[in-house]
Amino acid sequence: MAEIVFDRVAKIFPGGTKAVEELSLTVAEGEFMVLVGPSGCGKTTALRMIAGLEEITDGVVSIGGQVVNNVLPKDRDIAMVFQNYALYPQMTVGQNMGFALKIRKLPKDEINRRVQEAAKILRLTEYLDRRPKALSGGQRQRVAMGRAIVREPQAFLMDEPLSNLDAQLRVEMRTEITRIQRLLGVATIYVTHDQTEAMTMGDRVAVMRAGALQQVATPQDLYDHPVNEFVAGFIGSPPMNLILASLQEQNGELVLRFGDQSVVVPSSYRTSHRLAHVIGARVVFGLRPEDLELASGEGGALLEATVDLREALGSEKLAYLSFGADTEIVQQETPRDDGVPVRRRSRVVARLGARADVHEGGRVTLRLNADNFHFFDPETGASLRVGAS
Amino acid sequence: MLTASPPTRLRSPRRRRVTRGVIFIAMVVMAIVMLYPFAVMLFTSFKTENQYLAGHGTSTQSWHQLASSLPIFQQLLNSTIVCSASIAIILVVGVMAGFSFAKLQFRFANLIFLAMVSAMMVPLQAILIPEYVNVARFGLTNGYLGAVLVYAALGTPFSIFLFTTYFRRVPDELIEAGIVDGLGYWGVLWRLALPMALPAIATVTVLQFIQIWDDLLVGLLFLQNPAERPITVGLAALAAGRTTSIPQLMAGSLVSALPAMLVYLGFQRFLVRGLTLGIDR
Amino acid sequence: MSTSSTVTVPNATPRATRRASTSLLTKRRRRVGVVLTIPAFVLVGLLIVWPILQAVYYSMTYWDGLTTQWIGPSTWWQALHNPTMWRALENNALLLLAVPFALAIPLAVAVMLHQRVAGWKVFRSIYFLPTAISWVVIGLVAEHFFAYSGTLNSLLGDVGISNAHTDLLGSESTALIALGITFIFSMIGTNTMLFLTGLATLDTSLEEAARIDGASAWQIFRYITLPHLSRFIQLAFVMTIISAFSALFSLIFVMTGGGPGYATTTMEFLVYQTGFNQSQFGTAALYGLILFLITAVVGIIQLRLIGANDS
Repeated sequence: MAEIVFDRVAKIFPGGTKAVEELSLTVAEGEFMVLVGPSGCGKTTALRMIAGLEEITDGVVSIGGQVVNNVLPKDRDIAMVFQNYALYPQMTVGQNMGFALKIRKLPKDEINRRVQEAAKILRLTEYLDRRPKALSGGQRQRVAMGRAIVREPQAFLMDEPLSNLDAQLRVEMRTEITRIQRLLGVATIYVTHDQTEAMTMGDRVAVMRAGALQQVATPQDLYDHPVNEFVAGFIGSPPMNLILASLQEQNGELVLRFGDQSVVVPSSYRTSHRLAHVIGARVVFGLRPEDLELASGEGGALLEATVDLREALGSEKLAYLSFGADTEIVQQETPRDDGVPVRRRSRVVARLGARADVHEGGRVTLRLNADNFHFFDPETGASLRVGAS
Repeated sequence: MLTASPPTRLRSPRRRRVTRGVIFIAMVVMAIVMLYPFAVMLFTSFKTENQYLAGHGTSTQSWHQLASSLPIFQQLLNSTIVCSASIAIILVVGVMAGFSFAKLQFRFANLIFLAMVSAMMVPLQAILIPEYVNVARFGLTNGYLGAVLVYAALGTPFSIFLFTTYFRRVPDELIEAGIVDGLGYWGVLWRLALPMALPAIATVTVLQFIQIWDDLLVGLLFLQNPAERPITVGLAALAAGRTTSIPQLMAGSLVSALPAMLVYLGFQRFLVRGLTLGIDR
Repeated sequence: MSTSSTVTVPNATPRATRRASTSLLTKRRRRVGVVLTIPAFVLVGLLIVWPILQAVYYSMTYWDGLTTQWIGPSTWWQALHNPTMWRALENNALLLLAVPFALAIPLAVAVMLHQRVAGWKVFRSIYFLPTAISWVVIGLVAEHFFAYSGTLNSLLGDVGISNAHTDLLGSESTALIALGITFIFSMIGTNTMLFLTGLATLDTSLEEAARIDGASAWQIFRYITLPHLSRFIQLAFVMTIISAFSALFSLIFVMTGGGPGYATTTMEFLVYQTGFNQSQFGTAALYGLILFLITAVVGIIQLRLIGANDS
């Protein structure tokens, strides 16, 4: 049973920096788990602790049911794909892939068989006799994967393998990696800072920030039910709009006020969210860009805004809107040490259709999708949805 | 100080050509100056003693007589043996220590590294007397071992310095890949890092070869046995002798100079690369 | 009735101690690190460090190969009053005057080579060749060049200035000059190579940016090339000085034997002479230590300067 378990794992560097705090996470056999987060969030450190390249300060790491805290990397039955590929420059592609097997003294024909097979899967067969410096970035990346595949390990560990490739190649390789992983069915931990990769590749995604695990869920779950402001703002591109508003009770209705706007909140939210303690106070109101559309006719939650900037992407238009001088839009940044989110003024983004009639400097009326409001505690950033832990 | 004009596309082509022409001539003049000793040696060696004193005439007599006035083959052999053995030690010790200082952080590593590098500044003369006494005490003035150890000790600090600098450039990821693949650090050194250090090895080899082959003092004191004399000591002895024929001396000098020149010319390519990477830290 | 019911908490695995216990990999890394350094440590320690300590001891003894007698620090006092030693130091100091030349000429040559005029690679090899051959050989050739019956004079004679016949090596005042010239000649190869390496590592985009900004060749050299080369010049400076204090032995031995008189006896030659010609081992060790102190001081000053530069 090749599952990977982090049990309250922590990493504190000699200088006192807490790279990873009390991480508990289980990767099931065959699962593709993505660790995602901004740089410095501890995701790579966590990965390296599984690999055995980083000392574990606290907690227990197990692979396949066996505690591996004090086991050498080579005995952990894991294979790693490095960010810069780390191919051995003086060996051919074939030798690179077979190296680990040669060290373990596997019989030559077995080594050959595995290398050939992996080369076929990765379409590297014609490059087997080349040296790494004669290969393109994408090919090198595939060799790095090949080196991992032939090991037939219990787990694949991948450290931002696509970040050195150009955009188009990245998209291509994304599907390759996913395909291969499904084919081989090996538990995989994949580290990246790119939320698109996380969303498209992972069976489950673990979002990390400043060493702490924020949320681990399926991509869709993360998208629909983010557990705090950070996850909400991190997952999804363009990110969720987070608006600091005051929530008031008016004539029995809940109303959000920001700037000179007010939006009625459907009463269903009283039960689905814990709003009691913020009524009469401020709350962070979250709305995804696609939940804003150009209003046609009356009715529904409406907002008036000025279009500051407009981006036409061909398939859609993004409108960057502002409401009024004193509307505080929250954008997640690297938190301070006390964990309080740093806020800064920004604009609301709306994702509109390709033919939307918006002009820079013009005023528009937008309808909000009242089914998809998100609420977060203004002090802690935690989601106020009932059931979000 | 020569004011060099870098070739520019902004100057008129004619002026550029003139500049390059001047430079070329300057380089030729310089080359003549540099090659002068060789010319002297060459021309002088092809005379007999009498012809040399008279100032003209050529003959190959001095070359023929060379082997009889100087056990030249024996001495060349000695120089070769001592050089090879010393360089072998310098390389092995240097590679090991260099890799260790560069990649394997252990307690006091920095301190020891600093000590090694400062050892580069110890001139031979400072330790000569005690060294001689020690070596004599161990009976090592006979045989090559004494001289080899002294040369090795003198050349090791620089070797360590160069290899440490060089190995620092090996990406950590590469080492980690080796570790994950199953190598121990020992294996990483010999199978991964070493093949990448070939330019540095060539650099150390050339520089130390020249240093040791051309050295006089150590050979003079630690290889006193005439059968073990290196070529430099042999030449110096010949020069000091009363009945020395100058042409023969020149012939001997040429022979002694040849190996070092060949080694240099052969390893030239690596030398530049190795020095660049070694110093550019 | 005493069935102890223990609740098995699924994840009650023992926690590692708060203090980070070193992983197996780290332990191995450190162990290999130490082992790999041992040969170097032993070699340098036994054959360089230990002899220095011994030299300190010997320097304070009277020792002529037969009898050894401890005298104490007064030997240093005596040495400092020995006119021969001061003469030797003076000679070393005078030779230092050659150092600027031994730096400037190679710099010029390197800059020339850097222009990559046709055939520069060949010239580069040629310039380094004299370095490849032994100082002994260069010394021999130089000796015959500068000698009274030597080549220089016959050249002068050919040109018709036989009145200017010199006896450079025979006269006290000029022997050192001949030595100095030979020293410079020998250092040209190494330093040129060094500077050429430095020039090769210079980022050409800096040069080009400056040229676009309208800088003249001299300005480019002074504000861009030279600063970049400063590290190399420092290295060459240290190496040349150290050579001036130790490597001249071969030249002196072969060219002048220290003479005439003590005109070309430098510290490095004095050590040999005192020790092995006069069998004054104690004093020789002392001189050797003085030499070491000088080079050490130079080295330390250099390190300070380099440290100050690399911010």
